[in-house]
Amino acid sequence: MALPLYYNWRNLFVRKLSTSLTFAVVATLVLVLCVLLSFAAGIRASLAVSGWPQNVLVLKPGATAESTSIITPDEKGRVVQAPGIAHGADGKMLISEELCTQTSIPRRAGEHNMANVAVRGVDATAFGVHPEVKIIEGRRFEPGQLEVIVGKAARDRFDNLGIGGEVRLGRQGNRLYKVVGVFETGGGAFDSEIWGGRTQISDSFNRHFISSAVLRLDDAAEAAAAISYLNGPFVALESKRETEYYEDLSKTTRDIVALTTVLIAIMSIGAAFAVANTMYAAVDGRRREIAMLRTIGFGRGAIILSFVTESLLVCMTACLFGLAGAMFFSGTRQDFLSNSTWTVLAYELKITPTIALGSLGLACLVGVIGAIAPALRASRVHVIEALRKA
Amino acid sequence: MSAADIVATSVRKVYHKDRIEIPVLDGLSLKIDAGEFVVLMGPSGSGKSTLLHLIGGLDSPTSGSIRVGEYNLERMTERELTAWRSRHVGFIFQMYHLVPVLTAAQNVELPLLLFKMSSAERRERVATALKVVGLADRTDHRPNQLSGGQEQRVAIARAIVTDPDVILADEPTGDLDAKTSEEILALLNLLNSEFNKTILMVTHDPRAASHGQRVVHLEKGVLEREERNPARPAMAAS
Repeated sequence: MALPLYYNWRNLFVRKLSTSLTFAVVATLVLVLCVLLSFAAGIRASLAVSGWPQNVLVLKPGATAESTSIITPDEKGRVVQAPGIAHGADGKMLISEELCTQTSIPRRAGEHNMANVAVRGVDATAFGVHPEVKIIEGRRFEPGQLEVIVGKAARDRFDNLGIGGEVRLGRQGNRLYKVVGVFETGGGAFDSEIWGGRTQISDSFNRHFISSAVLRLDDAAEAAAAISYLNGPFVALESKRETEYYEDLSKTTRDIVALTTVLIAIMSIGAAFAVANTMYAAVDGRRREIAMLRTIGFGRGAIILSFVTESLLVCMTACLFGLAGAMFFSGTRQDFLSNSTWTVLAYELKITPTIALGSLGLACLVGVIGAIAPALRASRVHVIEALRKA
Repeated sequence: MSAADIVATSVRKVYHKDRIEIPVLDGLSLKIDAGEFVVLMGPSGSGKSTLLHLIGGLDSPTSGSIRVGEYNLERMTERELTAWRSRHVGFIFQMYHLVPVLTAAQNVELPLLLFKMSSAERRERVATALKVVGLADRTDHRPNQLSGGQEQRVAIARAIVTDPDVILADEPTGDLDAKTSEEILALLNLLNSEFNKTILMVTHDPRAASHGQRVVHLEKGVLEREERNPARPAMAAS
């Protein structure tokens, strides 16, 4: 039979300082873990919904991102001969030639707070190649006009990007574009971009080439053949499935997550030691009490369970506080500066039930691991010696 | 209400320290009738507390046997002894050993948590035990809100709440003033005379010893002599 929970709960307040320190360590651990996991999940979600398996992205060999790729008109001409390219309702091949660049504009938070935003010059075909792009406010830009449409996340993060707003684009920022529409892709990377007519963007930035070509195929199964052709000696460009490209972009996130996982592991070990320290102090301070409990009939198992329960109470309560702290950030949109594109990618920090349960699991694990050695020591208290030392 | 007799036969207890044998009890034999109130006296190191611990199943004799009621303790495992103690023995300590974070009622309730019993029944038994020791109005007080005498009363209530056959008291008045000691000893007398509990009490205090029906004197691990208390004749066991 276990000792009552209120016995453990009240004992937590006997050693306020060490309990508080352990509490703080575990709460911090949970907070960091939650933010890390939600960061990773947010970035993953943002990049995971980007791209189609039947879309093949063509870049200059060696380019790690669209922004560092230059495809010349000559190379562009050979792309159209790739097998399996789908055709739009107007009979045109679904090849979107795109110019990717970036510009620095003020964020909403303050006028001196500038950040890079991705600017994409596209033709009307882009909307057939990227059908996930849906206009949710206003309309598409008119070709030949200084008009842009903006992703929903970009509109929310940057200043003056609402409908009717104006944004300076170009090498010197000398072209004033008017925002005529807002689009969204369901949380994908495009949501953080500004799109305009390719010719105007090309002219404004004085870049007379394209960064990438995106081919929409009839069937995702034909991607391998198309990629083989595009990467072959005749075209000599570098192509990959669009989904693969965005997955590669999230590599940095994976590296950050891996590194922070090591940090979390080290923090967990530290937290387990903090728990152990507190529980050892509790055992040493309660030797007579333990001896009395053993004398009146509580077995070793009940003593072990009691100390593990006490540790779990600290860790689970600390976990709830850590989660409450993390919930403070939940639902907020954060910026992630991609080191591939050097543009800001907006993602949503979200504490999901899975993240909350994972954090609770880690807190419990820390509690059990930290308590097990002190609890065993408690169960081995020499009853007669402890009673005599009274 | 139940009582058990205690029979210790040729009990030897030897402790080892740095490879040196320290004999504490040296072939001691003692018989205590069910319902008897026996006092163990003797100088420090004579083996009084050791004998009490052996009878309480907290330690095992090096040789010899101890029987309490129908239980031969030397044949029982540690787990069996732990379970046996919870049902058949009530312990009273010099320093009370109450749990400071629990109220008087919760302290008394502790041994009952080892029984399959409804919380209503537990509450009832706790209330009865506290009433017996005269602390019915102190149920929600913590140990630090009670006097030494009151703390010892709570400890006695904890010892009797399971209705044990035997009460083992290790210097229960050693930390109390004379007046409070008398009250505690009167309470032990009550448990013996009214509730027919077999009581074995260790004490250094001759006044406390006068409350027993029989005083057993130990000296260097052996029974030196024993005296019957004419003022408190032994009662027939129930």
